[in-house]
Amino acid sequence: MADFRAAQQQNRTKTWVMLGLMGSVTAIAFYAAAVFMGSSSVGIVPIAVGIALAGVWGSYYGSDKLVLAMTGARVISHDDAPQLFNLVEELTLAAGLPMPKVAIVEDNAPNAFATGRDPEHAVIAFTSGILRSMDREQLQGVAAHELAHVANRDTLVMAVAATTAGAIAILSDMVLRVTFWTGGNRDNNNGGGGNPVAVIAALIALILAPIAALLLKSAVSRKRESLADATAVAFTRNPAGLRKALEVLASDSTVVHQKSNSVAHVWIESPLDNSTTSNLFSTHPPLSERIAILKQMEQGG
Amino acid sequence: MNTSTWIVLGVVVLAVLFIVGQYNSLVRLNVGVDEAFAQIEVQLQRRSDLVPNLVETVKGYAAHESATFEKVVAARAKATAAQGVEAVAEADGSMTQALRGLLAVSEAYPDLKASENFRALQEELSSTENKIGFARQYYNDNVRSLNAKIVAIPGRFFAGMAKVVARPFYEVTDPGKRDVPAVSFS
Repeated sequence: MADFRAAQQQNRTKTWVMLGLMGSVTAIAFYAAAVFMGSSSVGIVPIAVGIALAGVWGSYYGSDKLVLAMTGARVISHDDAPQLFNLVEELTLAAGLPMPKVAIVEDNAPNAFATGRDPEHAVIAFTSGILRSMDREQLQGVAAHELAHVANRDTLVMAVAATTAGAIAILSDMVLRVTFWTGGNRDNNNGGGGNPVAVIAALIALILAPIAALLLKSAVSRKRESLADATAVAFTRNPAGLRKALEVLASDSTVVHQKSNSVAHVWIESPLDNSTTSNLFSTHPPLSERIAILKQMEQGG
Repeated sequence: MNTSTWIVLGVVVLAVLFIVGQYNSLVRLNVGVDEAFAQIEVQLQRRSDLVPNLVETVKGYAAHESATFEKVVAARAKATAAQGVEAVAEADGSMTQALRGLLAVSEAYPDLKASENFRALQEELSSTENKIGFARQYYNDNVRSLNAKIVAIPGRFFAGMAKVVARPFYEVTDPGKRDVPAVSFS
């Protein structure tokens, strides 16, 4: 793991494994719905997928404008903050990416995020707090991490994960509600649950599937964060910069006033998670773990 | 048509797709190297454009340091004329060294260092230096991918067909880094 290329490869592989697992969970949930509801579930599946798609892909496509509006970020030009702008421009050369929009969020908590459906529509934003509390080297590490999200197309990856988790949640919710309302009539109408053991197994699967999907979605998010750290090092070849930046974030207790769940995953330091401990629903790996991996890269490189 | 005809047809289609894929990825890597080199040249040009302004600003405070100015001007002329990776890299190294000399001279003039104009120029210059550095890194990464693809199987079988050859790395020969200064204890 001491080498950023190996770290990038490992995190990419893990992302694919997890997205594959999410696919399996989806298949199980759909199968369980079919067992449980019989033929009437056939209509529910496209509805659940449709709702999830409409909800997630709208926000994915317009993510640049949407997130800017939700966080109150202000897009800047070179003369507003020459150093920050130069720093981002430098990194686009290392990454071979077009210049993204650069934005500032008025907030005392040090944090930053990247969004946008593709590199051509990317926005990377910094809070005014992070600009005050970090030097050029640390800011470069943060900017490289955000640009890494753009290069790795994490908005797209997370949109896929969110759609899958959403579809499963909606499906499970619909099936369980319909069952609750219609009660015992189910067996008489559809005859879908001939075998009581299968029906109970399907019920358990339907209750557990949304939780499993959510866990996997969080796991994908954590892997993308680790990948972005490794890719950031590939851009700057300076693990110390990002490591020092994360140490600044770790020592700072202020949290962005952004409590909206829907944009939590975009920040470099999660505004929702407790940063010292990890749990299965965290969108970010614990800062201490990220710092330790970067330290290993410093020694290896 | 019988089954074996379909199988043969399938194999032929797959083989064609494979060859096209290999060919295209070689061409894409090759174009990537060209683009990365063009990016280095853009950044070098930007640095050259900063030079007259920088020299004028320093002259305002340190007019008699003419030897340093001449070096910078000569390096700029050399950079403008350079063609090809090796020549450009060499001119790049001379320019970096000449500018380092200019900045070292400016250290001795507190009024110059305090001037707003000079400080803005210095941020632009150091940012441009960083950009050149990252553009070099990106170029060398691309060369590395291309050169690895050309020698590895199956890429090496298609390199000739795609008329793609190994490309030179961009190596700046920085005399300042190589020469150990002679130390005298007498």
